[in-house]
Amino acid sequence: MGRVLFPQNVADAMKGGWLFLLCVLMLLLLVTSTAAIGAETAEQAQAIPVPNPSADLWREVRQRDGIVVGKTQVAGVDSGALINPYGETWRNFRMQQLIPYSGYLLVGMLLLLLLFFAIRGKVKVNAGMSDKKLFRYSLYERMIHWFIASVFLFLALTGLILLFGRSLLIPWVGQELFSLLASASKEGHNLFGPVFVVALLLIFIRFVRRNIYQRGDLTWLLKGGGIIGKGHVPSNFFNMGEKSMFWLLVLLGIVIIGSGLILVFPLFGQTRVTMELAHLSHAITTLLMILVIMGHIYIGSVGMEGALDGMTTGYCDLNWAREHHAQWAERCEQEGQVVSEAEVSRLRGESSGGHIPPAGAQESGQ
Amino acid sequence: MEHDFAKGVEELGRQIDSRIASYFSSCVHCGLCAEACLFYTETGDPRYTPIYKLEPMRRLWKEQHTFWGKFAVKLGLSKPLTEQDFADWEELVYDSCTMCGRCSMVCPVGNDIAYMIRKEREGFSTAGYSPVGMQEATHRALTIGSPMGVTLKTLKAALAHVEKDTGLKIPMDQQGADYMTLFSSMEIVNFPEYIESVARIFDAAGVSWTISSEAFEATNSGIQIGSHEAAGELVSRVVNAAESLGVKFVISPECGHAYSAIRWEGPNLIGRPYKFEIIHILELLDQLQKDGRLQLSGHTDTPLTFHDPCQIVRRGGVVGPPRDLLGKVASGFVEMADHGTMNWCCGGGGGVSANERAEELRLKVFDRKRKQLEELGVKTMVTACANCRIVLEEGIEDREMDVEVIGLTELVAEYLTTKSAQ
Amino acid sequence: MIGQLIDGPLWYFSLAVFCLGVLFRFFTILRAGLKPDLAIPRAGGAAGALRNLFTRFVPRRDVATRGRLTLVAGYLFHLGLFALLFFARPHVDFYAERITGFDWPALPYWAFIISAEIAFIGLLLLWLHRLLHPVTRLLSTADDHIGTGLVFLVMLTGCLALAQSFEPLRLLHLFLAELLLIYFPFSSLMHTFTFVFSRGYTGAIMGRKGVNA
Repeated sequence: MGRVLFPQNVADAMKGGWLFLLCVLMLLLLVTSTAAIGAETAEQAQAIPVPNPSADLWREVRQRDGIVVGKTQVAGVDSGALINPYGETWRNFRMQQLIPYSGYLLVGMLLLLLLFFAIRGKVKVNAGMSDKKLFRYSLYERMIHWFIASVFLFLALTGLILLFGRSLLIPWVGQELFSLLASASKEGHNLFGPVFVVALLLIFIRFVRRNIYQRGDLTWLLKGGGIIGKGHVPSNFFNMGEKSMFWLLVLLGIVIIGSGLILVFPLFGQTRVTMELAHLSHAITTLLMILVIMGHIYIGSVGMEGALDGMTTGYCDLNWAREHHAQWAERCEQEGQVVSEAEVSRLRGESSGGHIPPAGAQESGQ
Repeated sequence: MEHDFAKGVEELGRQIDSRIASYFSSCVHCGLCAEACLFYTETGDPRYTPIYKLEPMRRLWKEQHTFWGKFAVKLGLSKPLTEQDFADWEELVYDSCTMCGRCSMVCPVGNDIAYMIRKEREGFSTAGYSPVGMQEATHRALTIGSPMGVTLKTLKAALAHVEKDTGLKIPMDQQGADYMTLFSSMEIVNFPEYIESVARIFDAAGVSWTISSEAFEATNSGIQIGSHEAAGELVSRVVNAAESLGVKFVISPECGHAYSAIRWEGPNLIGRPYKFEIIHILELLDQLQKDGRLQLSGHTDTPLTFHDPCQIVRRGGVVGPPRDLLGKVASGFVEMADHGTMNWCCGGGGGVSANERAEELRLKVFDRKRKQLEELGVKTMVTACANCRIVLEEGIEDREMDVEVIGLTELVAEYLTTKSAQ
Repeated sequence: MIGQLIDGPLWYFSLAVFCLGVLFRFFTILRAGLKPDLAIPRAGGAAGALRNLFTRFVPRRDVATRGRLTLVAGYLFHLGLFALLFFARPHVDFYAERITGFDWPALPYWAFIISAEIAFIGLLLLWLHRLLHPVTRLLSTADDHIGTGLVFLVMLTGCLALAQSFEPLRLLHLFLAELLLIYFPFSSLMHTFTFVFSRGYTGAIMGRKGVNA
């Protein structure tokens, strides 16, 4: 039954297409939550109509009517403002909306993937795995992929500890251990942040050309990436979903990096308001990126047969390529780039010991 | 040769000296040596990584020289070397290494991998795991006096031809001559024009020289197969002949490993310095030319390049002389991108050309030279090693290329100012 | 209690193992012996050894192209680690207090952080190269991964302890560094010192032949 509901290339589509749905969902959430904050502050404002001699003073101090910069001998950013009223707004948003809702989203995503896996199972290569391979990712491409992957995982882990630590970890490990963990996470997160900038730059430069949208991509989109309708939707080296994921990650990445740099180097005259905004956009965009990457990891590991090979060995199965990247596979076959499994294992040095395969096999590389 | 594994392991262990111990201690498995080896670059097979060819020796070093190795042996955790390992590695040690030493030039920690292979072959040949072709060549060298079975009779016949062609008398067994000349079998059989050139040049330059009937063979199969006993025997024949004739110099011919054997390994193989000096023919020609004894006139305008024989240039140190000589006789001399001490091997050194089993692989890795030549677009290649020359010619034929290979000494002889012209 | 152990006895123990182990390794190399070269040299061996010791820091043209991934990552890691290890303020203070008794100019904080980042980029790329490239995959042994892993963990805990306000984090960093010191002499990390021998030996023999190795 499940197979009827979820056609073959749903999985392909998952690499990117459905992520749009999620993004839309996220945006909706954002809008509603900000609206909620707005309503709240409005109520509070109406709740203090009683005149009080000190009220005016405190109103000035708290700057309810907007920030008024006073005069001070202290030289420094924001030193003219006694109290930044937005700090409380930011704090409330972080505690009451950001943390719980992002928690629900992450858990929801996990459940969704589990549910999907339960219904659809592992997407098999229909024709079965062949004994022929296509060269898909060079050593350098694989290196920078796993480089950004490891840096990302570390940043995500430390970032999540900082975000959820208070509510999830303190009850579990106690305050003392958490303070230590939080300090470690913060230092690690700050140090690896710039490393991520380098990694994303390397990824962008290397993969951008193959991710430029082409004419075929429109067909892919119109056919819903294979979610709606039957049969395979042929795609090039990357399909529309993958390309969309690439651009989403690049755009999110830019926001993440920008906001992250504002946060980690508070020495360019950023005001508190800037820092608060940077923090919020950092949190929301990273959360989105984590969600996208969860799907990416799912499809690359347990979700689809043969999807991981290209990124580990550099070679993907010919049948897998035919089913998921038909245009690319066809072109490779026409150009005679099909390699036998024996040749791949020779090039990877997987034959035993020092034994050299018969000379015939050595010539097959030609 | 019979297989004696235990003796082979013992010999392999004896070869581990301070150099090899420091080399294995330093290796971090970075894999850069692979990028310098034509057997890896042309096949893409990671097992042709130079340092991987030393795996049996590394394991023995670990067992005998390191804490973890000894510890694991005590606990019975480590697998000792087996005869199967020797059988598996034989092809890597002999077929896919020409001991050209290019890897030794690029290793970031400075390991001399070619030296290690030379030493590892000692263990392998003692164990009997060496290619039949090389075993036979060594056997012929020890019994007949030449790896190709060239006898004194053959030499005399070749010399008679040369005497007829040049009208010069070739001095034989002349006591007290300054120079004693050696030849490689390949020159006697395939390139007698080398002998002719030498005779004409020496005559023109007034060099007092001779050939010994006791020892005229320069090649040394012992250092290729990795047998210090055979190598020492072959060197001592030359040394005895030279010392009994009382010559001042022995001339190593245009043969790569012959020069390495007699110049650099020889004294160590026989355990004493010589009473004479070794000079390579190119060094001598360069010297004669600089001293004004060798008068050259005219030059060729053909664009040509020089293939550096590994054992003469990179492993022998004769880098400048061939270039000086080419500068005199060729106006169209251009260098390949990788030249001099970083030149690529022809693919047939270190006994590989004597190993029939390796022929297919050797012709495949010739691609490296083909690419170098195509990049340069030159149709004439000069070299100074009879073995390189044969291997290059075979490769050129196999790839159906239009390139001519000539010996440097012959090229020089061509532009000799003859006595009549003076 | 454990902290005192790590900060005191274990530190001295690991330092002793490191020093004695390294000396022992030197001894095993020298003990293997080397026959004198009887061939008449073209030039001096000592000059060749000295030259090779330094010229090998610069890669050859051809290998610099084909092996540029290894080279770039290798330089990043080694330069970063060197700066970090000997010129980070906390390290300089530590050495001054525990070993030398005097200190030397340290890097400013930002330079320290940048060198750490460079070292991390290099180490991660080198490790990935080891895991992904067919040649290094074939060559690598458990020792290579343990060595790389330990260095990585020491660097990582060091960066987690950057705030310098939590004693357990400093002790964790120190503890892993001590493990590294103990493991060091028995592993290929020894190349830190033995490269001098290797380059020296090769440089000497090539120098005698008149080749600039």
